[in-house]
Amino acid sequence: MKKRFLQATSMTVLFKGFIYWILKIFVGIQYADCSFLKKEKQFILIANHNSHLDTLSLMSSLPSELLPKVKPVAAEDYFGNTKLKAALSNYFFNTLLINRKGNTGKENSALDKMLQALDDGYSLLLFPEGTRGEPEQMGKLKSGIARLLVQRPNIKYVPVFLAGMGRSLPKGEMIILPYNANMHFGEPSVACSSDPHEVMEQIENEFHTMMEKFRIKDDDEEDEEE
Amino acid sequence: MKKLVGLIFPTQSDAVILVISIILITLLIASAALFIVHKIAPEKNIKELVERTKSWWIMCGIFFGSIFINNEIAYIFLAMLSFWAFRELYSVLGFRSADRSAILLALLAIPIQYALAYIKWYGCFIIFIPVVMFLILPMILVIKEDTHRITKSMSLIQWTLMLSVFGISHLAFLLSLPDLEGFESGGRGLLLFLVFLTEMNDIMQFCWGKMFGKHKILPSVSPNKTVEGFVGGVISTTIIGYFLRFLTPLSPVYAILVSFVIAITGFAGDVVISAIKRDKGIKDMSNAIPGHGGIFDRIDSLSYTAPAFFHLVYYLVYPHL
Repeated sequence: MKKRFLQATSMTVLFKGFIYWILKIFVGIQYADCSFLKKEKQFILIANHNSHLDTLSLMSSLPSELLPKVKPVAAEDYFGNTKLKAALSNYFFNTLLINRKGNTGKENSALDKMLQALDDGYSLLLFPEGTRGEPEQMGKLKSGIARLLVQRPNIKYVPVFLAGMGRSLPKGEMIILPYNANMHFGEPSVACSSDPHEVMEQIENEFHTMMEKFRIKDDDEEDEEE
Repeated sequence: MKKLVGLIFPTQSDAVILVISIILITLLIASAALFIVHKIAPEKNIKELVERTKSWWIMCGIFFGSIFINNEIAYIFLAMLSFWAFRELYSVLGFRSADRSAILLALLAIPIQYALAYIKWYGCFIIFIPVVMFLILPMILVIKEDTHRITKSMSLIQWTLMLSVFGISHLAFLLSLPDLEGFESGGRGLLLFLVFLTEMNDIMQFCWGKMFGKHKILPSVSPNKTVEGFVGGVISTTIIGYFLRFLTPLSPVYAILVSFVIAITGFAGDVVISAIKRDKGIKDMSNAIPGHGGIFDRIDSLSYTAPAFFHLVYYLVYPHL
């Protein structure tokens, strides 16, 4: 219990007292108000993924009382490949490391792990694209999220669209370029059916609408539109 | 009030303390008025005005606190202001992924430009961005070997740097101007005069336009701007500048001339940023200041008035080569 408290405190200090301000003042993340999440007992945040800044900025935008209750789901082969990396991400990010390959083992361990975390009372932060991908492009969503929502139909999911993080720190770059990136929270909602395909469609549509509205357009595209 | 302000800023001249007191009293009156309106008629929607006034308090607090207490903090604050403005402008304008290193280099130019102001190396300060960076930035872009739309990037980065760093850094060089005999307020007096008059010009043009505006001045750029607002703003800014000349070493005629130039250039800066917002289809540059929009929504005029004011005053009253 004492250890949990210590971890929660150090996470709050790190994210709310330190990373929050660095990201705001030097990087230029424009936080959105997400205090409405306090009303939800448990939720799954689903966001598009373009940058390492995604997890950092989403975690630091959370209200501090929610911070220790949210587990970001991360790739075991990337964040857990050394003991030190795994220990650090477990302690400071509270990560849930999963095997990205999914069904290769004898059991569906990734899904089971996430279900277990939900049953333990944690909320999840999930990037269903599975990888950061091309800067500011949205890849195909993996269906794990739909299967998760179908098996726990009472838990609400909250779509989050992040715009500009991939401009600031895209995959393959080492230096952060300051950029006024934005985050947009959608409405919390439950899965619309018990069929994973339909749930998938529901989520994809929601992201599509948000993307049309908030996506950063390149100049080339703008010229073509004209 | 004046005594209290004098205690907070012990190193400032009487003239500076008087003007700071006037500004704070005006804010107090505004807040009190809003509070009374809220008590008498709670159904009236004054939320935006309240938010704006709150932001004015914070902006004045940060501005006075960083400019008038410690010399080094003043330079650091102005450099940060340039950084935020620069970041905001290129975020709005967009860039290619090949432009990253050029923009990072341009960011490095900010501390250098302000350091040049701090060590009072006027010759290099004045050419560093318009000449040195102007020549280096295209070269960095060329190294990346991506020529698709490179011309646009070359001009955009340079222009962004000029507007947000070169223009605003003239505020810092005001602080580096040599002392004049019989002029107590020094560079801080000039800085306060410039910033106060520029903001007053914005407010005056807005008020005159609201009250008497009929003929639109640049309808396709900024539909709210009118000829009446512009003329009324220029006249009232010039008059206010005439009465505030005790902050500067200017003679009455020069004070009128300088204030007139501030009014005209302030309008120019305002509409230039408005045109960009129109082009990009946005209302505010960012959401940095609640009720006001982005940094550039507040300092748009300043990036034009600062160099104009600086060079005019430098020519008129300071000894040069």
